Amino acid sequence: MKQIVYFSYILFLILFAIFSFAFIDPNLFYLKSLYSGIYLKNRELVTGIYISSLIIFFAYYIFFLLDKKNLNLQKVISLIIPSIVILLFAYPAIVSYDIFNYIASSKILFLYKENPYIVMPIDITHEPLLAFMHAANKTALYGFVWIIFTGIPFFLGFYNFVLTLFTFKFFVICFYIVSIYIIWKLSKNISSILLFALNPLVLLQTVVSGHNDIVMMFLVLTSFLAMKNKKIALALFLFMLSIFIKYATIMLLPLFIYFIFSKNKNINWEKVYLWSAGLMFTIFLLSQLREEIYPWYAVWFMPFIFLQNKKWLIILTIALSFGLLLRDVPFMLLGTYFGPTPMLKVIVTISIPLITLIALLAPKIWSKKFYLK
Amino acid sequence: MKKLIFSIFFIFIFIFSFIPQSFAQSSYVLPYPSVMPGGISYKIYNFWQNALKYWYFGNFGQFTYNLKESDRFLVQAKTLFEYKQYLLGFTALQQSNEYFIKINPYLVAAQNEGKDISQKQIILHEAALKHIEVLESLTTIVPKTFLWQPEKVKATNLNIEEVINQSIKIRQSDL
Repeated sequence: MKQIVYFSYILFLILFAIFSFAFIDPNLFYLKSLYSGIYLKNRELVTGIYISSLIIFFAYYIFFLLDKKNLNLQKVISLIIPSIVILLFAYPAIVSYDIFNYIASSKILFLYKENPYIVMPIDITHEPLLAFMHAANKTALYGFVWIIFTGIPFFLGFYNFVLTLFTFKFFVICFYIVSIYIIWKLSKNISSILLFALNPLVLLQTVVSGHNDIVMMFLVLTSFLAMKNKKIALALFLFMLSIFIKYATIMLLPLFIYFIFSKNKNINWEKVYLWSAGLMFTIFLLSQLREEIYPWYAVWFMPFIFLQNKKWLIILTIALSFGLLLRDVPFMLLGTYFGPTPMLKVIVTISIPLITLIALLAPKIWSKKFYLK
Repeated sequence: MKKLIFSIFFIFIFIFSFIPQSFAQSSYVLPYPSVMPGGISYKIYNFWQNALKYWYFGNFGQFTYNLKESDRFLVQAKTLFEYKQYLLGFTALQQSNEYFIKINPYLVAAQNEGKDISQKQIILHEAALKHIEVLESLTTIVPKTFLWQPEKVKATNLNIEEVINQSIKIRQSDL
């Protein structure tokens, strides 16, 4: 890899981390000195920079993937480390404010000694987080394992909001790092870790925004590894923990039943990953019924797809990850969840994977081979 | 003229003394009647509700739990009184009182922890008003006392009026 590309990537990450602070909420008084108001005053400009950033992110990603001949494990790590270190300091609530919900639930349990499944943040009327969090009227949405886990970053934050914000991010990033390690252990394939670790959706939704989906996925991937190593009890325990992070991995229950009934013998792991990807993609689509499909839900199926060698599936997943990241654009531009925003979200999400699918199928459709078949 | 004024006044008092009156009104919404006593399902349901006490930890949690339980037993008592099940209704009302008495100390404890309890106080005030409204409506449909005479067991005299009045007093102390 050319040094200039490497350094330009690092420079780009630094610029993106700085740009992320354009999204600071005006009511977030803890970061008042960094508030510029640019996002609310100049939505077109900010949206333009955001779209450009996504394109650059994907350009680097594709460049690194295509340049894999020159890549070895050491070089991949040399790309992952600066990504983590720089993006750790990016402002997390670009469009999603979930990190504030995590802190609020944690605070309700560990500071106020109340049950976050019963007491809503809005019930604690003097709570400063209410000024800028976006789901104050909801009780905790996540599993109890996650709520208990959040005690670690909460106490490491020493009751300081800014420190807590970044300890939460750091906590999630730790799971991102160990997930990469588990993917490596499962696949022994540099491409798999490169595909997952440097995917812009994974970076933005995990390292920047600090979504807890990676914690759930780490636990389930580790349970797969334990199952591979014939440690069934440990695998089941980790699987249960994973379910009680965000519930979505319950979809993989049929596979664990299969592992037990097959006595963990002669398992075709390629097929297991394919089925896992299919099941997690199904619940990803079903999330539409609950609320809507959020970009970070893609983390549920992406590791399983990148554990395989199905090129067309990998290309489609990358295209979908780009489409999913564009879902934030209509709200960013229009500033409303209503009006044309929902329809535009669907259009931007579907169009890129659809175009990619057509591009993948077109040569087959027009080839003589296709007609002969 | 004096006779006319006295007649109008008397008629006015006479008419209003027959109109069912409610001195307390509240927008607070009570729950639907839940499982009624008399079956195994009630015992299971009560066991579950008792277990929930540990789920509703924290002072705000206990505030919610005790208010919920007090509401549940009040609605149960009302339903049972309406169906002339006086002994069961009597017991349910006493249980509702037991839970209601526990509510305020949890709010005080929450305040001592530095929590803002103003919203909870409003909820408790509204709930107390609604409870009083229901209890006052009960006085018109239940006898003052009732002699409960089960088979082969000593009879029990239920002082229903007294327990209702006592229940109202308990709620009034939180107004």
